[in-house]
Amino acid sequence: MHDKQFMREAAQEGAKAFKEGRMDRRTFLVLCGMAGIATQAVIAGDAEAAANEIVMWNWGGQSEECHGKAIGDPFTAETGMPLKFDTSGPLQGKIKEMVDSGNVTADVCDADLFDAVALGPSGHLEPIDYDIVSKDRTLPQYALEHGVSIILYGYAFVYDTEAYGDNPPKNWADFFDTAKFPGKRSLYKWANGALEGALLADGVAKDALYPLDMDRALAKIKSIKDDSLYWGSGSEAHSMVVNGEVSMGMIWQNRGRNIEMDTDGRYKLVMNEALAMPGAYIVPKGNPAGREAVMKFIATAQSVPSQLTLLGCLGMTPSNPEAFAQIPEDQQPYAITSAMNIDGIVYNDPTWWGENGGDAVNAFLEAIS
Amino acid sequence: MNGSPLTRFGTGWLLVLPFLALVVALFLGPIANILWLSVTDPEPGLGNYAALVTSDNLAGILWTTIRICVITTAFSVVLGYSIAYAMVHVAQGSRNRMLGLLLVSFWISVLVRTFSWLMLLGRKGLVNETLLGIGLIAQPIEFMRNELGVLIGMVHYMIPYAVLPLLASMQNIDTRVLAASRSLGATGTQTFWRIYLPLTKPGLVAAALLVFILSLGFYVTPAILGGGKVLMVAEYISVQILVTLRWGTAAMLAALMLFGVLALLFVMSRFMKLSTVFGGAKA
Repeated sequence: MHDKQFMREAAQEGAKAFKEGRMDRRTFLVLCGMAGIATQAVIAGDAEAAANEIVMWNWGGQSEECHGKAIGDPFTAETGMPLKFDTSGPLQGKIKEMVDSGNVTADVCDADLFDAVALGPSGHLEPIDYDIVSKDRTLPQYALEHGVSIILYGYAFVYDTEAYGDNPPKNWADFFDTAKFPGKRSLYKWANGALEGALLADGVAKDALYPLDMDRALAKIKSIKDDSLYWGSGSEAHSMVVNGEVSMGMIWQNRGRNIEMDTDGRYKLVMNEALAMPGAYIVPKGNPAGREAVMKFIATAQSVPSQLTLLGCLGMTPSNPEAFAQIPEDQQPYAITSAMNIDGIVYNDPTWWGENGGDAVNAFLEAIS
Repeated sequence: MNGSPLTRFGTGWLLVLPFLALVVALFLGPIANILWLSVTDPEPGLGNYAALVTSDNLAGILWTTIRICVITTAFSVVLGYSIAYAMVHVAQGSRNRMLGLLLVSFWISVLVRTFSWLMLLGRKGLVNETLLGIGLIAQPIEFMRNELGVLIGMVHYMIPYAVLPLLASMQNIDTRVLAASRSLGATGTQTFWRIYLPLTKPGLVAAALLVFILSLGFYVTPAILGGGKVLMVAEYISVQILVTLRWGTAAMLAALMLFGVLALLFVMSRFMKLSTVFGGAKA
């Protein structure tokens, strides 16, 4: 065990030397070979990631460019450490697998706050250091032991203005009312947001949602099952709407913004009763760059300019209350915490989802399949 | 090739030994790990397997999977049979062109095919718009985002896999047998049912097995063309690993699939020599 630890450190030191040009590539690879580190692991960044950089594990697409601009640039300017990306998507199972294997290659995961609740107690995550990260620069309920919310995204819905022009749907009750608003619906396949929407539609008050009444929510979901399709990715949700497969579609609000723009307003986003989801940064246990460096990175992401750049670039809403008032005019209709929307939104409870998410997803899958 | 069977066997084993060791280390090791996980996570015991009997959910998913795989296999093999039959009976040039097209279809990713079906047969797809346009139907036909959509997508993907073993089997038939049958007074139909079809049985079994086993692991097509309502076991396993962290359940289902397929091969082996099915058609 100690030997292994030593070898890891030898390789990491070697990686630093290699980065700084003190060691040639061949010597470095020999060292890695001796340390029993597969070349693939080196390329994937285990030893490499230690060499003074932050590796962000996110979902690819535009997010690479946007996170680089919003957080990477100011962070590198301040610390000299570059920001790199692993875009394979930090799902809970993958984080658990990475930490269990002892081959941790990522420093920070662009994940959900409920992941922090699910993985924190089992020792898979580093606790957030609130001496470096600020509790005041996020919503008070979203600064948890193993994760802190950096942005908010939301589950809202879009509707077809040609189908419901004169009497548009206004809330989840209308979304679930296929008698008054005939047509197909689309919902998220993995339960999140769909359950809350169903309960709000069924008359549960916003502040009495949690703990979720699963039976009641699933009964409501089943009541429109024949008219529903279910999507598993943002692009699928997008195409179900713009290809005319559904007349009302539950959607991530930043996707909703894109749909409104792509279709010149034929489809309209409804932000009333949108479900605010805390997108969080969480740190796998034993991250290669060390805890202090990654906490500084997270603190950078909390700054108002970083938050506003992410909003402009990805449509992710700031979670830092200082930034709420500075949301630009043209983003107001789509931002969750803008003055325009903040009174109508409903906050997700990451603790409930972290503790009950697995059962909820399976029950949901059973109900829809 | 002129040594005694025993030495031939021995040299053969020596030659494959390094690869065999590699297979054991890289393949059997992880499989053992999965089996272990299925009886230890979340707690030691057979709880994961007991859930098969107690959970309606799991039974439903398995039933959906088996139903879809059986239907897919039936359609793929029947359609594949007619394509292979046509291929062996056309001129050499046409056969090569057909084979070329068949092989090219392997290059097209399953995602591209899946989305192409949506564009063709979706609610606002080419076929529905045309039929609506000429007034043949009043409502779009729901080809996609349901079980029918999954079957269309899967059969389309699987047909080439069915054709190849059938083609190999048909090309090995001695056509003089058919001529003999005709000369003894059998009609064309009789010759087909009583001579040709039985001779292609190894190819049929190989095609059916291949298609069925590949279908069991299908993930992308059911996930997209099923509109979220057709949940097959591969997608469920992936959700249990990545989202809900029920690794024990996922490992149990994976073990079930593995032993299901092995059992299938065993049952088949009771009825015919598997070596004739897989490759050794020219006995």
